[in-house]
Amino acid sequence: MASESATVTDSMSRRRRAFDWLSGSLWTVVVGSLLVIAGGTLVQVSNGAFSTTPIEAWQALVNPDVIFNLQSWQAFLLGGELPEMNRQSLIVWQMRFPRVVVAVLVGMNLAVSGAIFQAVTRNELASPFILGVSSGAGLMILLVLVVFSGATLVIPYVFGSVKLGISSLLPIIAALGGIGAFLLVYAIAWKNGTSPVRLVLAGVIVGTVFQSLQTGLFFFANDIGVVQSAIAWTTGSLTGVEWEEVRMALPWTIPVLVLSVISARQLNVLLLGERTASSLGMNVERMRFALSAVAVVAAAASIAVAGIVGFVGLIVPHMVRNIVGSDYRRLVIGCLFAGPALMVAADVGARLGLMVLAGSSEQMPVGIVTGLLGGPYFLYLMRKQDTMGEI
Amino acid sequence: MTEETTPRPDGGASKVIREPKSRENGETPADGEQTADGSTDGKTTASEFRGEGLVIGYPSSEQPVVDRESISVSPGEVTALVGPNGSGKSTLLKGLADQLALESGVVRLDGADIHDMETKELARKLGLLSQENVAPDSITVETLVEHGRYPHRDFFDGLTDEDRTAIDRAIELAGVDHLRDREVGQLSGGQKQLVWIAMVLAQETDVLLLDEPTTFLDLHHQLEVMEIVRTLRDDSDMTVVVVLHDIQQAARHADRMVALKNGKIRARGTPEEVITEQLLAEVFEIDAAVERTPRGPRIEPLRPRHEADSDGET
Repeated sequence: MASESATVTDSMSRRRRAFDWLSGSLWTVVVGSLLVIAGGTLVQVSNGAFSTTPIEAWQALVNPDVIFNLQSWQAFLLGGELPEMNRQSLIVWQMRFPRVVVAVLVGMNLAVSGAIFQAVTRNELASPFILGVSSGAGLMILLVLVVFSGATLVIPYVFGSVKLGISSLLPIIAALGGIGAFLLVYAIAWKNGTSPVRLVLAGVIVGTVFQSLQTGLFFFANDIGVVQSAIAWTTGSLTGVEWEEVRMALPWTIPVLVLSVISARQLNVLLLGERTASSLGMNVERMRFALSAVAVVAAAASIAVAGIVGFVGLIVPHMVRNIVGSDYRRLVIGCLFAGPALMVAADVGARLGLMVLAGSSEQMPVGIVTGLLGGPYFLYLMRKQDTMGEI
Repeated sequence: MTEETTPRPDGGASKVIREPKSRENGETPADGEQTADGSTDGKTTASEFRGEGLVIGYPSSEQPVVDRESISVSPGEVTALVGPNGSGKSTLLKGLADQLALESGVVRLDGADIHDMETKELARKLGLLSQENVAPDSITVETLVEHGRYPHRDFFDGLTDEDRTAIDRAIELAGVDHLRDREVGQLSGGQKQLVWIAMVLAQETDVLLLDEPTTFLDLHHQLEVMEIVRTLRDDSDMTVVVVLHDIQQAARHADRMVALKNGKIRARGTPEEVITEQLLAEVFEIDAAVERTPRGPRIEPLRPRHEADSDGET
């Protein structure tokens, strides 16, 4: 009898231990982030040219005719015909809410991407753009806007062909540019295998050259509109995003998120250093490339819809690590909530900041706000922590 | 540097011919009983581990560090690799663990070429603890030990009961149960080393390779580590190869010793066979007095030998 109850408690304590890593600090991050996202959403949906009170906007957002209507979700996520809805719901759901959804997706992608790159390079100061992704994407954006702006692509199709202006493909080209630069970085770093330091150095090399080319291309832009558009893309902006952008990012975001959550244990082992990981039977080169590829796809998905938003991928994993520790099972989940929280909050600042400060209705690129938040945060960390860099 | 790496004509001059192995290498009377019964069945179940014609080097240098050496590790025994700095003992160990590509030669574990094994399959049979290890400061001891189960788990697998039993056992064997929930960053160097040993023990391998596990530890933790190694041999029939910086420690705790210099094996055998004043002069370039005691040869280092002292040797 006594031994029986002992085995029962034993198996219970084992089961409890299996979920030990879901600690209280992680719940703090999750709940705190959800509150920020909810608050940011409320501000975003109630402000705009068509004035609504927060209560009206909230009612329009939780309108059951929209939420529980399959057709409306089909319209949002697959691009079908919109069902009938009242004017307020239409404005909130069609114009204001998608911007929040895109901010959430971008925040998730960038935060997870940064977290993965920090493990792969075993460097706390790594960001999603450390392996040349941003410079490759930026160069392609400038090339498309300045050099090939008039070009059209003719894509053969079953019945005839589709003619596309190259500018409409800008998001995809930018993302592909980022992936291309990443592959180039990997090729440069490869010499009987890679190492974190070689990868980072190769990223700096490719980044420097591409950045110069990108800046050089600005000289050939003879239209202020083109320059502004290029700046919006290279600093990251959510102005004017719609459900179309959600449809573009979502198919990439879902697999990335699933993969990043289930790879948490691989990331943890990689953090023990190459030698240990390899003696534990991990094929380090293959795993490092696969994980980097996931992170690059995440970064590319966010570039395609929002341009190159800096700092989010750098700060968010950092903030979450300070709260929940370095265990990636917790860290990745924390990033999935904290990333969107930062992005939604920063976008509130980008959209309404100038209105509050200067009374102007102009919007800033969100990348400017994340940079303004990120710099001081790092200053604070630098003052507080003695050592920074290695995880 | 180049002088040292040129093969010398009398490379095998000081080799000691292997004799039938004996376990009575001077245990303390208290340990003596354990070894007497532990050794007999040990030879049947323990893994066969050998390297043949090994040429091991680094991609950055032309000259191999270990040049055409063979080593056969006695199953179920503790073999210590000793030698001066840069003698190639760590390199040999990494080559044996398939962590450095062999330029030629083959390492066999129970007859199979380990290079042909799938990496996880190898990691279930052969564990390696590197000299220096890093872990994030904020992870707990238990989480770190859990990583030792990596080769036993598939990409999607959670921890099974078998994994948990292995983790508990490893933690107990390494004597770090009281540290279980502590963060790795809060531990002393000696405690950290014991935790890392617990991690390789959780791998549950037949062969364990340890690279200087006692260097930089205080005396208490050095003895703790060597005691764990001895327990593994006696209770689990583990075949252990350990690189030791301290030749006295090797003489005291190992069943067999292999002495290297300049990538060549200069002597192998039991500590009594290997530890001689002549070998210490040739391999370690020291004058020392060697005294036979019931606990194995005792070495008293006297003075360094300089080139002028040596007869023909560099």
